[in-house]
Amino acid sequence: MSGLMLLPVFLPILAGSGILVSSVTAKQKKAPDLTEEARNKLHLFSAAVLVVSAVLAIVLAWSGDLSLTLFYLMKDIPVFFHIDGIGRVFVTVISVVWTAICIYSFVYMKHEGGECRFFGLYLVVYGVLVALTFSGNLVTMYLFYELMTLTSMPLVLHNGSREAIMAALKYLFYSMCGAYLGLFGIFFLYRYCSSLTFTPGGTLDPVLASGHEGILLIAIFAMLLGFGVKAGMLPLHAWLPTAHPVAPSPASAALSGIIVKCGVLAIIRSVYYIVGPDFIRGTWVQTTWMVLALMTVFLGSMLAFREPVLKKRLAYSTVSQISYILFGLSALSQTAMTGALLHVVFHAFIKSTLFLVAGIVIFQTGRTKVEELRGLGKEMPKTLWCYTFASLALIGIPPASGFVSKWYLAQGALEAEIGIFSWLGPVVLLVSALLTAGYLFPVTMHGFFPGKSGAQNVWKKQEPPYRMLLPVAFLALMAVLLGVFPNPLIQYFGQIAASVL
Amino acid sequence: MNAAIFAVVILLPILAGALIPLLPFRNRTWMMVYTEAVVLLTSGLVFLTLLNRPEEAFVLFRFTGNLSISFRLDGLGTVFAGLVSVLWPLASLYAFEYMKHEGHEKIFFMFYTITYGVTLGIALSEDIVTMYCFYEMLTLVTLPLIMHTLTREAVLASRTYLYYSLGGAAFAFIGMIFILSYGSTSNFVPGGVLSAAVLGDKRSWVPLIFLLCFWGFSVKAALFPFSSWLPQAGVAPTPVTALLHAVAVVKAGAFTTMRITYYSFGTEFLKGTWAQYVLMAVIVFTIVYGCSRALKETHLKRRLAWSTVSNLSYILFGVILMTPLGLVGALSHMIFHAVIKICSFFCAGAVIYKTGRNYVHELNGFGRRMPVVFGIFTISSLALMGVPGLCGFISKWNLVRAAVASENPLAYAGVAALLISALLTAIYMLSISVRAFFPGRNFDMSTIQDVEDPNWMMLLPLVLFVILMFYFGLHSGPVVGALESITAVL
Repeated sequence: MSGLMLLPVFLPILAGSGILVSSVTAKQKKAPDLTEEARNKLHLFSAAVLVVSAVLAIVLAWSGDLSLTLFYLMKDIPVFFHIDGIGRVFVTVISVVWTAICIYSFVYMKHEGGECRFFGLYLVVYGVLVALTFSGNLVTMYLFYELMTLTSMPLVLHNGSREAIMAALKYLFYSMCGAYLGLFGIFFLYRYCSSLTFTPGGTLDPVLASGHEGILLIAIFAMLLGFGVKAGMLPLHAWLPTAHPVAPSPASAALSGIIVKCGVLAIIRSVYYIVGPDFIRGTWVQTTWMVLALMTVFLGSMLAFREPVLKKRLAYSTVSQISYILFGLSALSQTAMTGALLHVVFHAFIKSTLFLVAGIVIFQTGRTKVEELRGLGKEMPKTLWCYTFASLALIGIPPASGFVSKWYLAQGALEAEIGIFSWLGPVVLLVSALLTAGYLFPVTMHGFFPGKSGAQNVWKKQEPPYRMLLPVAFLALMAVLLGVFPNPLIQYFGQIAASVL
Repeated sequence: MNAAIFAVVILLPILAGALIPLLPFRNRTWMMVYTEAVVLLTSGLVFLTLLNRPEEAFVLFRFTGNLSISFRLDGLGTVFAGLVSVLWPLASLYAFEYMKHEGHEKIFFMFYTITYGVTLGIALSEDIVTMYCFYEMLTLVTLPLIMHTLTREAVLASRTYLYYSLGGAAFAFIGMIFILSYGSTSNFVPGGVLSAAVLGDKRSWVPLIFLLCFWGFSVKAALFPFSSWLPQAGVAPTPVTALLHAVAVVKAGAFTTMRITYYSFGTEFLKGTWAQYVLMAVIVFTIVYGCSRALKETHLKRRLAWSTVSNLSYILFGVILMTPLGLVGALSHMIFHAVIKICSFFCAGAVIYKTGRNYVHELNGFGRRMPVVFGIFTISSLALMGVPGLCGFISKWNLVRAAVASENPLAYAGVAALLISALLTAIYMLSISVRAFFPGRNFDMSTIQDVEDPNWMMLLPLVLFVILMFYFGLHSGPVVGALESITAVL
């Protein structure tokens, strides 16, 4: 049974590599662009592989705590897969969102070109992400974390413009920098922990570690900063608003909705499953972490507020929202962690919806700036409704989903013994929520109520094809519904939080 | 097996190599066959020797008293000799194809083959005198290889190399005399040959002498401030830069520092002294310095050479930790870096050979036309950066494990330096791959119509190196276990 875990990892990786190789060989034979027939085959193949792997991944994830030792990378360090609560949650969210985005991109990628490369890589990255969530020890996680960076990088430079290539390099080098900061921590944890296998509550050996607290705290802080790069935490967040907008919209959605969460996953794994929250409670590491997270929440919202380009605005919004999660994690309390996990799930659905809507607008009209979106509601009302629902959820208006997670985050901060952050945290979250409303609502407002602008505007309907709209509607619906029926999630996440704290 | 085999494996390539210009080869192919046969025969004999492991030493001749040229095989020597003898035949194969466009092949292969013997001499030396002699010989026989093209640049480079190496050897000489005077023997003994009783009040001299000696020997390993000869020597034909300046010569420098640190002076006298701290600081600095220079460099081979400077200091860092674990890290990086760097140099050489392009900014779009070479180049870059799954990660892990275990604050700084260096490596290596594979939307592929992958003689070694990189990266247990047993005697 546990051997099956390899299937959702390697099936998409192999299938994706197959597509990539065949596209390279086809190019060498100077084959013409994709014919309609070949394109359909490619779509069918990618969809089949992805759906099979996603279903398998979810089924396996929910069929118990499986583990599998693949082989020994070094004498005492195996490549080890293990499914536990956190992994289960992440793999489910990733699989659902990834599949939805894939269906959307079948239509979208027609106008970007290079479809073989895109879908090949898209499948490979999915396999890597599943492996990342299944990872059972720190080194295995690091392995797939690096692979995730390397394989997702070409998605950013997809269109081949100079801007895109520079953005991809920025993404690559920031991520590498982060990975190496993380590795710095791993080196020290290897020395002072009894094992690198993820164990709720941590494996730090108090006997070994005594007398070396100073360097250990530095190492842990390096990990937070390093894995925080992917999560867009200050001070190494700058790649995110550069890289997410230049990627093709489905890739932006995947990056902003899913890949940034892997930074969060890495932080959860290292803090709650290796170091143990008690080791950093009350230290300068926790304080600095909270300060950085709150600053990111605020700055991200501010920058989003004054950003005129829609996709860039959404990218800044991601910066801000992921740090909600990080703040929840940094409070080291059960309620806050429940809130953080809820926000992981909700934000994945919300942000991918928003990016996909931005993509629809680009696909149909080529507009990128917010001010050009006046009257959008007359042209594509269904699309704008999806956007509006997702916005409501992100701002946190009940009963949409963001409200629930923010409620838990704020309550967790108030409960936790974290000094002035107990009230400062919720205040910053509130201010940021206002800003969120400020940067998301104008699109809806001006979209549905364009006002009278001199010449009589004639809005022509240009709703996107259903194959594009349905995945977006599904994601938007999830963003709302999960907020209406959050109880199973809250209970499950509460259990996870209780097991590690 | 008789210990005379040591003399055979060392002298065979030296003598047979010296004959190359004299023999009347009918054509180029015969010379190639002869050279490859000599090299393969030597490697075969080396493997036999390593498997049979003759216990006793072999004295080639005595100068006087206890000064002699003598050979013996021990664990450390096994690693170096094994490494060299695996890589040499592959590099020769590559050189046959490559040297077509360089000319003067007889002279080239003469010195190339002689160098093999001399390098084996260093690996198999029983005592510090023998090692010193071969170390000096190595300088002299590799000099003509750097000078090969006889351009002004090449002559200047070889002159720098000569001065640096001879100067370094002079400092090393001081250390040798000290060992001869105060050591219980000139042989290499695990743990060192000095004893407090013999040293008496000279004990306070040990750190200073060690510092000079270490720095002297590590000139060949391009330790700061004597690193600039290595990138300059990049003017040599690629088989030389790849094999000698990424493996044989520079690793001989690192190897000699291991010998004097662990087998002559002994860590007992050195650990915690100022000499250790000064050298460690210099080494940590070189790690970052080499990478930053690589980042600035736009000439492809020189960039790789600066990267070698940095990576050699990884090895020296392991050596200077002065723990058995440190030596395991150093040895594993010696092996793995050899495989990685020779591979990336061969890729660079393939580009130069096929297209004559030398600079990084000329490589736009090459990945589309030479997918195999640039694919392999990318894999070697990832290995060099230390991506898990490839061998570079294993050696980095071992080095850092030793550094963290030493609980020395300067070693912690070394860990940070290794990671900074890894980041810089990512920048200077992957930017080449990205440029090669993604030249941008407006790039005109017709400007590089002439670019294509080279033939099998050049590709075969590359493919083998990639297999080795993955093998060591995914299944490092046996190799690292063997290294641990070698260092267990310390």
